[in-house]
Amino acid sequence: MSDYDVIVVGSGAGGGVAAAVLAEAGKSVLVVERGRQLSNADIGRDHLRNQRISLYGHNAGPDIDGNPRTSAEGRRIRPHEPGYQNNAACIGSGTRVYAGQAWRFMPQDFRMASIYGVPAGSSLADWPISYEELAPYYEKVEWQVGVCGDDSTMYHLPKYQKPYPMPALPLPGASRVHLKGLDALGWRGLRMPRLINSVPYNGRPGCINCQHCFGFGCPNDSKNGSHNTTLPRALRTGNSQLRSQVMARRLLTSAAGAVQGVQLVEADGSERSITAEVVVLSCGAIETARLLLNSATSREPNGIGNNSDQVGRHLQGHYYPGAVGLFAQDIYDGLGPGASIATCDFNHDNDGIIGGGMLTDSDVCTPTVVWKSLYPPDAPRWGIEAKRFMRENFRRINLISGPVHEIPNPDGRVTINPKVKDRYGIPVAHLSGTTHPETVRSAAFMHERARQWLRASGAIQVWGAQPVLRLSGGQHQAGACRMGDDPASSVLDRWCRVHSQDRLFVADGSPHVTNGGFNPAETIMALAWRTAENIAKSW
Amino acid sequence: MFDARQMATLQALVDAIIPEDDYPSGWQAGVGDYLLRQVQGDLAHCLPAYRDWLDALEGEAQAVCQRAFASLDLAAQSALLAAIERGDIQTDWAIEQAGFFAEIVEHCTEGFYADPGNGGNRDGVAWAMVGFEVTA
Repeated sequence: MSDYDVIVVGSGAGGGVAAAVLAEAGKSVLVVERGRQLSNADIGRDHLRNQRISLYGHNAGPDIDGNPRTSAEGRRIRPHEPGYQNNAACIGSGTRVYAGQAWRFMPQDFRMASIYGVPAGSSLADWPISYEELAPYYEKVEWQVGVCGDDSTMYHLPKYQKPYPMPALPLPGASRVHLKGLDALGWRGLRMPRLINSVPYNGRPGCINCQHCFGFGCPNDSKNGSHNTTLPRALRTGNSQLRSQVMARRLLTSAAGAVQGVQLVEADGSERSITAEVVVLSCGAIETARLLLNSATSREPNGIGNNSDQVGRHLQGHYYPGAVGLFAQDIYDGLGPGASIATCDFNHDNDGIIGGGMLTDSDVCTPTVVWKSLYPPDAPRWGIEAKRFMRENFRRINLISGPVHEIPNPDGRVTINPKVKDRYGIPVAHLSGTTHPETVRSAAFMHERARQWLRASGAIQVWGAQPVLRLSGGQHQAGACRMGDDPASSVLDRWCRVHSQDRLFVADGSPHVTNGGFNPAETIMALAWRTAENIAKSW
Repeated sequence: MFDARQMATLQALVDAIIPEDDYPSGWQAGVGDYLLRQVQGDLAHCLPAYRDWLDALEGEAQAVCQRAFASLDLAAQSALLAAIERGDIQTDWAIEQAGFFAEIVEHCTEGFYADPGNGGNRDGVAWAMVGFEVTA
């Protein structure tokens, strides 16, 4: 008899959904989260330490001490430093501090290799499932977690079976300016769907359009994340428990190597072995790979699920090419969260480019974000002229950018560094390699489209850096335990079960064969829903 | 942390980086408080470099202008800093001058434009200046 029916490791977008679906199916569920339970006051509004600008730390974890990773250059990296590829560690994980962009991937995004062929050196592949198989679960997320938007504007997707349950958020002034730019170019635009209540929904209020959405907690709880939707649903069943500040050291296995639970370590260092019929890993792509690799057995000596050397490979995130424009008049009117208009004209069918990406206008940028990230490279950085530039132009600067569909490289990967341990003595993740050069080509193409849009919207000056080859991951991390029908080239089957294990599943960004040209949160949730529903059905 | 002369140089330096106009200078807005907190915290590793740099700046001002940096007017301070930035210096500097000046500029402006909780944007004065209004 196991301690629980299910242990879910990680409480973010995927873990929350898995817990809710399985608990409501009558299973006893333990959710463990390495981070803390945070109040809005804990998260705060520190403009130098948040999930958008993390100069000196993070507002939603992990702690900057005791959680290192290492890089190919042999560097030891702390969570707030470049190259760490951080995602939040707290109850709700990234969903607590994201801006809630709620995108379905496009049908073409599931068939990249079939449509474009596989470039040399890339591991580009099709998903084992189609858009049509995932669409009903997108709809569940939209209605049950809560998405606002306007399905009639989603011109790039097959017709929705049901509209969004809430109307789109109101258009800020900058978005209205950028709509004119789209019209001038003849590009199509759509209303940004968000995991935010635009009107009261699910017993919580509608958005009050504050300026601290992206990177911070929501002041009136109208932003929908695991912490206020799926995790409470799981707990309301009475079947579930949620524990914060509990780290998974390794998976427990039988003598024959079958996963039977998780060895956990508490904040005070005490260890507990908890058994379960099913284990669901929702740690984010990097930490899920790390946990599998740290759980080697005699049957799987290179890590659980890793007999084909696939765990940790094909790590993806999102390049965010974009450009900044200066306008002759104020276009910022303070209406948050901000980005409201997007075009999907360049996600596919671009001459000589594999895929592409979505482009959107910008979420509210704090003065620190403008100063650090959007400031023109040729403007003075100090003295009266620098102060005057910020004073005159803060409300006249806007960013157009968006995520590019990355072309995976098997050498962009997570391994284990046995020489470096975290605060619990667990070997840390080692990050090496880069994305495929085709990603950089796509990003350069999208960078030019962003410049074009800004000029058409009336920008009098446009600037921005060209993308360069590097590793991706970060808040959109994905792909490091891919799903597929062939165990030789994938870690998970089409139900996100580890090929070599009967009772071990993954529900986060890891299964994504490719990561779309869109923010991945809604896809992570939809896929987790499908996975958990199937676990319950076939119990 | 800093001796009296270093403190006087630091205050003048902050106010040359973020001078007073219709809105307060960096020091008036609390950037000094931000820096003094940071060099005992996140930027503790920079404290020796700050001391060296302030001493070197003072030495340069004495050599070029025969005056303390803090007693120069803003135009003279700015001209001296611009010369240092482009490597046009008269004295021997203990640390690489232009590189660390750029870091000091970033530290000062972080304090000025970040949230008042960091100590350098007193009463949100920098946000009022740029038009960043917090409604909720």
